[in-house]
Amino acid sequence: MPDKKVTMRGVFVNGILNENPIFRLVLGVCPTLAATTSATNGLGMGLAATFVLLGSNMVISMLRNLIPDKVRIPAFIVVISTFVTIVQMLIQAFVPSLYESLGLFIPLIVVNCIILARAEAFAAKNSVMHSAADGLGMGLGFTAALILLGSIRELLGNGTIFENAVFGANFEPMLLAVMAPGGFIVFGLVLGIINAVVNRVSAKKGAQA
Amino acid sequence: MKLSFKGGIHPLKELHEGKHSTQNKPIRELIPEKVCIQMDMHIGAPSEPIVKKGDRVLLGQVIANPVGGIGIPVHASVSGEVTGLVTRQQLGKKPSMCVEITNDGLDEWAELSPLGEVESAPADKIIAQVKAAGICGMGGACFPTHIKMTVPEGKKVDTVILNGAECETFLTADHQLMLEQPGKIVDGLRAIMRAMKVATGIIAIEDNKMDAVKAITEAAKGREGVQVAVLKTKYPQGGEKQLIEAITKRQVPSGGLPSDAGCAVFNVGTAAAIADAVTKDQPLISRVTTVTGSVKEPSNLRVRIGTSFQDAIDFAGGFSEEPGKIFAGGSMTGIAIPDTSVNLSKANNGIVVQNLKEAKVAEPTPCIRCARCIQACPVKLNPQRLKELCDMADLAEAKKKHVMECIVCGACSYVCPAKLELSPTFKEAKEKITARRI
Amino acid sequence: MKLRLSTGPHYLSRENTQTLMLDVLIALVPTTAAGIYLFGTQAAWVLAVAVASAVVCEFLFQKLAKRPVRIMDLSAVVTGLILGLNLPSDAPLWLPAIGSAIAVLLVKELFGGLGHNFMNPAMLARGILLASWPARMSVYLMPARVLGTTNVVPAGADAVSAATALIRPQGYEVYDLLLGNIPGTIGEVCKIAILIGFLYMLFVGTVTWHIPVVFVGTVAVFTWLIGGDPLKAVLSGGLLFGAIFMATDYVTNPMLKVGQIIFALGCGILVSVIRLTRAYPEGVTYAILLMNILTPLIDRLTTRKVYGTVKKHA
Repeated sequence: MPDKKVTMRGVFVNGILNENPIFRLVLGVCPTLAATTSATNGLGMGLAATFVLLGSNMVISMLRNLIPDKVRIPAFIVVISTFVTIVQMLIQAFVPSLYESLGLFIPLIVVNCIILARAEAFAAKNSVMHSAADGLGMGLGFTAALILLGSIRELLGNGTIFENAVFGANFEPMLLAVMAPGGFIVFGLVLGIINAVVNRVSAKKGAQA
Repeated sequence: MKLSFKGGIHPLKELHEGKHSTQNKPIRELIPEKVCIQMDMHIGAPSEPIVKKGDRVLLGQVIANPVGGIGIPVHASVSGEVTGLVTRQQLGKKPSMCVEITNDGLDEWAELSPLGEVESAPADKIIAQVKAAGICGMGGACFPTHIKMTVPEGKKVDTVILNGAECETFLTADHQLMLEQPGKIVDGLRAIMRAMKVATGIIAIEDNKMDAVKAITEAAKGREGVQVAVLKTKYPQGGEKQLIEAITKRQVPSGGLPSDAGCAVFNVGTAAAIADAVTKDQPLISRVTTVTGSVKEPSNLRVRIGTSFQDAIDFAGGFSEEPGKIFAGGSMTGIAIPDTSVNLSKANNGIVVQNLKEAKVAEPTPCIRCARCIQACPVKLNPQRLKELCDMADLAEAKKKHVMECIVCGACSYVCPAKLELSPTFKEAKEKITARRI
Repeated sequence: MKLRLSTGPHYLSRENTQTLMLDVLIALVPTTAAGIYLFGTQAAWVLAVAVASAVVCEFLFQKLAKRPVRIMDLSAVVTGLILGLNLPSDAPLWLPAIGSAIAVLLVKELFGGLGHNFMNPAMLARGILLASWPARMSVYLMPARVLGTTNVVPAGADAVSAATALIRPQGYEVYDLLLGNIPGTIGEVCKIAILIGFLYMLFVGTVTWHIPVVFVGTVAVFTWLIGGDPLKAVLSGGLLFGAIFMATDYVTNPMLKVGQIIFALGCGILVSVIRLTRAYPEGVTYAILLMNILTPLIDRLTTRKVYGTVKKHA
């Protein structure tokens, strides 16, 4: 359980950097691989998950003293499903193209590990405002990661970022990058680079201390 | 068809197994001015010295009595004065107790009581005679021979094999002995067969020594039950287990002895020593050893037990270039010596001097899984996997993968293109497993 | 006098990783020469870029990762050359450059370098190129020159773009398939040259017959069973090149002979099935890659009886 003194801002930043759900906790890899075929898809999936995280974290935090321990997981799922349904309907109504390309992966947010993990590990133990900050931080961290991966894959596999052509007309895109194996490879490489950077930074900190 | 086992290698094929420079060179006798005789040459408890400084000893006189069940006595290899009982570093791990004798040059024999000709000597007394002569396995192991000749209760030995394979590189001592004294070797075999009551005796020789095959076949003519087997030139053809597999197609079960496969294996040099013990009662005081490599005059020498390596190298003309490494035995399993003051034991079949360039150790590179070690292993282990396990210090798993069956022949290390230290790793692992009772 | 102390063996075989790789390179000489002769200077450029890229990438990575630089063991050269031989002769030069970088960096060095890659680097790089730029990788040129006399192929500079001979092997004579008067990648077309390389490797002991013979034999038998022409099936596409130079990669095939035979059988069956269903222009790449993945499993499941652990003499 986090220290009482931890500020809202600390909780928020923690979700984006130190405990980035994708690159540091390695949670929710399945939607990550599926929804990063383009930067736009990544952004859409990220925002949808952020909305669900924010909502579910707040509601679960409010109900945390009312939910019996034995049935907490089904209770969490019901709350999460509610928000997922809302977000699915919103996307279908307002961004039908995104709805088309994400397809099944929107309802699958229900079983996204990040959301359930934050409900279990954070919202069920912390105040509403802290939980909101955590949900928002985690959600934006997730979104940022998806946009990064989506941009790289879109750039390699299609020569564009957010559908804006980056290279000249002679560029021959590397189709593999937008296929499933490309997702694994790009994710693995980015994860490796981030780990290397983090190790170097913490080694430096250790040397100073 | 030439007999062989499965697996194995042909080391130094391009150099004629390193044997060229001493092949067919007559055995020369080296009589040193001083000998330093180890008390713990053989496997088993060290013998107890019964002489003291200042004593005069005769050639072949017992200077130490056996201790424990499998001990053997030690004899003076020159006549002269005992000039000290010293503790000195020999080939073993720890320094050994040694008796130092200064030669008076007389070669005066102690009193001898021969049993008579091998075919007429009383069979039941041969084993005791062999023990009294201090004979142990001269192929390298130095296991007391009288123990080997005693068939354990409940087991049946039907074949005696004389090992004249000499599969180790550089060595020609056994080869030359077979050429010069084939009759004595056959006599020794007959003595063993009579003592062990075995009807079949086979002398096994690799096909790179066809002249020895001819000499032995000639000498064995008309001798009861004696046959000659020609083996393919392959290392480790002369390994006890491999030899049994090649000749009888039987395998010694894991943890068992050759007698479990109905066999007893002796070195040809041991057989010659047995013949001397039976017909002349001469104990084991000298042996044939090959001194080769970077020496001026590579030779086959008959040396007295306890001669220093330096004396042997000097007798072979001295170093021809600066030595980088000297080892006792062939290049596959030979033991490197720290300096030339160490003394020859009953098991030393060779001294090889490497120059500085040859002594350089190759840099190991990553394993490329070429499986050459797997093809080479004469006991069909997977050295590649075992090396991984030993490097991870997972000795329990290595034991499950039969690392204890490794005979440390060095074939895997020899063929490894990555120059990984395979067999030394397994030797260490076996020692650790035994010590820690894993 | 200072003596070195070490345990035996005190002499080692002269063979090392570098000499083994050199033998593979020598075995590839006929194939390379035939490829350059048949397809012209463009092919030479493709091969040169592939080799250079592989060596440079390996050197840079090992420097950056502070690992010992081992480009002298020639393994990167072999990887680059084999990848180059797997490319069509008209490939733009960025294709071999990227391919070799993928092979060396992604497949080999990131998994720990020589000996630690779980798939054949050149093979996986080819697979990735095939998936990424299918148009570049699956349309092959007719050789610009023709070996021997033939009435099938119009010779000359105007090379004809055509699908691999695999699609309709019946359109070619065995004679042309052997000599390489067929469309294909630089290295795979001239079967005679590949076989010369195989004989060399057998002679010097780089490889044993097991994997190539069982692999090719399985495809032949399978083709015969479904009523095809076994000889033409064997001689078309990249089968011989793959079976001889790529399936025999030490690192990624099983260590025991029995395991190697299982591996080769699996490769043969997969190639036959992929060819039968026409899912890809050529199945050799994917067949070998799939069996590469199974290699640790095959190694685990195949054992041999250690001396003395089986029978007891009564």
